[in-house]
Amino acid sequence: MAMRELVSGGAACATSGSSSSSNPLGSLANALLGSSSKTQERLREIPTSTAIPSDGSASVGTGEPLSGLPGSELDHPLQPNAQGSEFLRGFRSADQHGLADVWDEIQRPQVNFPPEHVLRQPDTNGPPQRVLSSFLHSFVNSSHGGIPFCPATLPVLGLSAGDKQCIRDRSSIMARHFFADKSEDFINAQVNALLSSLEIDNDIRAPGPAFKRYQELEKYWHETHGMRPGPNPADGWVAEFAQHPVGHGDPSTWVQSFEQEHGANGWASEFEHEHAQLASMDHIRGATMPHLAAMEQTRMLANTLAQNNDPKFQNSKFFQFVSKMSRGEITVEDNQIKPATLSAPGDWATEYQQQYSGGQTWADQFVHEELSKGPNGWVDEFASERGHVDDGWVNEFSKLHVNDWAEEFGRQVGEGTFGDSSADNWASAYDEYLNEQTALKQQSESSRGVYVFSDLNPYVGHPNPLKEGQELFRKGLLSEAVLALEAEVLKNPDNAEGWRLLGIAHAENDDDQQAIAAMMRAQEVDPTNLEVLLALGVSHTNELEQAAALKYLYSWLRHHPKYGTVVPPNQPDSLYYGDVATYFSDAARMSPDDADVHIVLGVLYNLSREYDKAIESFQTALKLKPRDYSLWNKLGATQANSVQSADAILAYQQALDLKPNYVRAWANMGISYANQGMYEESIRYYVRALAMNPKADNAWQYLRISLSCASRNDMLEACDSRNLDFLQKEFPL
Amino acid sequence: MASDEKSVQLKSDALMEQMKLHLTTDAGKALTKKIGLVYQLNIAPKKLGFNEESYVVDLKKGEVKKGTYEDGKPDATFSFTDNDFIKIAAGKMNPQIAFMRGAMKIKGSISAAQKFTPDIFPKPAKM
Repeated sequence: MAMRELVSGGAACATSGSSSSSNPLGSLANALLGSSSKTQERLREIPTSTAIPSDGSASVGTGEPLSGLPGSELDHPLQPNAQGSEFLRGFRSADQHGLADVWDEIQRPQVNFPPEHVLRQPDTNGPPQRVLSSFLHSFVNSSHGGIPFCPATLPVLGLSAGDKQCIRDRSSIMARHFFADKSEDFINAQVNALLSSLEIDNDIRAPGPAFKRYQELEKYWHETHGMRPGPNPADGWVAEFAQHPVGHGDPSTWVQSFEQEHGANGWASEFEHEHAQLASMDHIRGATMPHLAAMEQTRMLANTLAQNNDPKFQNSKFFQFVSKMSRGEITVEDNQIKPATLSAPGDWATEYQQQYSGGQTWADQFVHEELSKGPNGWVDEFASERGHVDDGWVNEFSKLHVNDWAEEFGRQVGEGTFGDSSADNWASAYDEYLNEQTALKQQSESSRGVYVFSDLNPYVGHPNPLKEGQELFRKGLLSEAVLALEAEVLKNPDNAEGWRLLGIAHAENDDDQQAIAAMMRAQEVDPTNLEVLLALGVSHTNELEQAAALKYLYSWLRHHPKYGTVVPPNQPDSLYYGDVATYFSDAARMSPDDADVHIVLGVLYNLSREYDKAIESFQTALKLKPRDYSLWNKLGATQANSVQSADAILAYQQALDLKPNYVRAWANMGISYANQGMYEESIRYYVRALAMNPKADNAWQYLRISLSCASRNDMLEACDSRNLDFLQKEFPL
Repeated sequence: MASDEKSVQLKSDALMEQMKLHLTTDAGKALTKKIGLVYQLNIAPKKLGFNEESYVVDLKKGEVKKGTYEDGKPDATFSFTDNDFIKIAAGKMNPQIAFMRGAMKIKGSISAAQKFTPDIFPKPAKM
C-alpha cells in the first residue's frame, strides 16, 4: 500500500494535514491546492524575474489537506478570461513562442483555468532545499497546466556540481515525458528556463559530447516509443495543445496523460538508459554519476525506511535491497542488478538503526523528508529488479483515482487504522512475492501436465516396485505407494497400470495436478481404459477444466463396450454438454444396475452444477456399491458444493471409515467446516490431512486462511514454515 | 444449468455459483453482516482486460449476480484473469502481491479493497 503512496504522491502519508514534500508528485498536489487569492498576485508577478515571497503554503510540511490532488478542486468557479488575459499580458512580455493568441483561443472553450493550475511562483523563502523543491514543483506544475515555465531568479541554492548534473538530467527527461507531444524547441525552452534559473550550465543545446548524448537520448526515446521522428514545427505544440484535452475534470488526468505518453516502463527505462548513456559518455572513473545518483536516492530511501525500528522490516529483503543499493553494493545496469566489487562491511541494518533513532513510523519520516529527489530512483530499481512484468502496478496505480485513495488513506492514518502495520505489510508482501516466485517455478512444470518425479526415491532398484506399490496402496500408505509406483514407471514407462494407480494415489492424496499428469501417461499407453478416462474426467472437473472434463467423460462412453453404440460414430469437433448428458441418460436407461454409468453421470451433473441430480446419481450408485470409499467422497463433495454441509460431513465420515488414510476426505472435511465458519475445527482436519501428505499444497493454503480467521496468527509462522510437528501438537483431533 | 453452449466458459463461473449458494447459508449471512460492501469483479478469460465478464458480489444484500453493478457504484472493482482469480480465492496468491505485480487491478475504496480476502470465498470440495 505504501509504495503506491510513494508513487502517487505520498501525500497521504502521516497525519491529515502535512504533505509530502519529498517528491514532486506529492507536492504537485499541494501546489495545486494553493489558495485562489494568490492567483492574481501571482499572475502579475509572472512576467518579471524577481522572486517574490509567496505565502509558502503547501510547499513543505504545512497543513494542507490531502484532498488536494490534481484537479480535485475544480469545482471552483473562476474567471478564466480575467485571469487569462492577465496571464497573457505577462506572457507576451516574457515572449514565449508567441503562444498568446492560441492561448486565448484555447481559453474560450470550456477549458477551466482554475486558480490552482496557474503557474505557481515558487516559494523562494526558506532553506535552499525548500526553495529548490518548490521550484522544481512549479516546473512540474507547468507541465500540467501546459503553461510554459517561466524562468525566475532564485537565491543562491548552493547546488553542487553533482546536484546540478542530476537536476539537469532529470529535468530533461521529465520534460520529455511531460511534453512528449510538444516540439523539441518547447521542451528545450522549458528545460533551459529551469536550468538557467538554477544557474546550471545548460549544455543541452551545446555541441559536444553532452549534446551528442542528448541526441542519442532523443533517438532512443523516439525508437522506444515509436513516436513521430524529428521535432515538430515550433507552433506544432500549440496546435497540439489545443487538441490535447486538458481534462481538468478528471482528478488523475496528468498522471494518465503521463502514462499514455510513454507506455509501460517508459520513464523508468528511459532513466535507466539515460544513466547507461551517461556512464558511457562520461569518462569519470570509479562510481559514475548515475550510480552516485542512484546511491543517493536509495540512501535517502533507506534512511527513511530505517526509521521503522521493527526488526522484521529491517530484515526484509526489500529493505536490504534498498540499503544495498544505497551503499553501492549493488548497482543497476541495463535493467539488471549487479553486485559491486566492494562489499560493504558489517551489519548495515543495525548501523542505520543506531544512526537514526526515533520512534517515527517510516510514513512520517517520508513526509518530512526535505529534498525532493523523488521516487524516480527507487521505482527504477524496483522495476528493473523484477523485470518487465512487474511495473504494471506502477502504471496501474497511476490510473487509479488517486484522489479518493488519498483522502481515504489520510483519514485512515488520522484514525490510526494503519499505524506501523502498513510498512510491515508492504515489506512482508514483498518478501512473500519473492518466495512465491521460486515456488511458482516449481509448480509451473506440473501445471503443464508434466509429471514431476520425487527426488531420492528409495524404491528405485526394487525388484518389483509395482507389486510393492499396490501393497502399500492397499494398506493406505499413499505417499509411500506413490514412491514405489514412480519407481515402477521409471523402470517400465509403458506400464499403464503403474501410471493409473499412480494417478489414483495422487488423487486420493489430494493432488489433482499430479494425478492428471500420471493419468495422461496412462491414457497414452492405454487409450481405452475406462477407469483412466473416468479419473481424468473427475480430476478435470475438480480443476474446473470443464471442456476437458466433458471430453474425457464422453470418451468413457464412447469406449464403453456396451454403451459405445449410444454415441454417434465420429467424434464431434466440439462437445455440447446437453448432448453428452442425453447419451448418458440413454445409457443409464439401458443398464440401470450399472453403478459405473451412474457414477459418471454424477460427475457430469457436477460439471453442469445440477447438484440435486448428481446427488441422486451417486446415491443410486452407492446402493449398488456401498463400500466404494471414493464414491462416498464424491457424494460428500457434491453435497458440500451445494451447501449441504451437514450431509457432506456424514458422507465423508463414511469414506474415512472405509479408508482411514484418505487424505482427500480429510481435507474435504476441513473445507466443509471452514465454509461453515467453524474455523477451529477446520484447522484440525487440515492438519490431519497434511500430516498424511505434507505435499498437499491446497491444504496448506486453506490451513493458513483458517488460522487467520480463527485469530491464530501465532501459528502462521508454523504454517508458513510447514512445521507439522508443531501444528499437530497444537491442533490434535 | 447447462451454460456451456458458449465457447469460453470461465472457471470463475463455478466459484461465483458456489458463492451465490454460500451466501444463503448462515456463514454467508454472517459475512454480509461483517463486510457489508459491494464488489464488482471483472474477470478476463486469458488476458487481463479483454473479453471481461463481470460479476457483482453484493455483500450487502448477500447475492451474486452476473453483469455490472447497476444500483450505484460498487465499493471496489477488481479486474483479474480467470486463473488468477481462482488462485486468489483459494489463498494461493496474495492479493497485495497480485496488485503489485499488476495481476489485479483495483478501483474504488482502499478499505473496501483491503477487505477482499480469500476467506470471503467458500472453498470447493474435491471429488
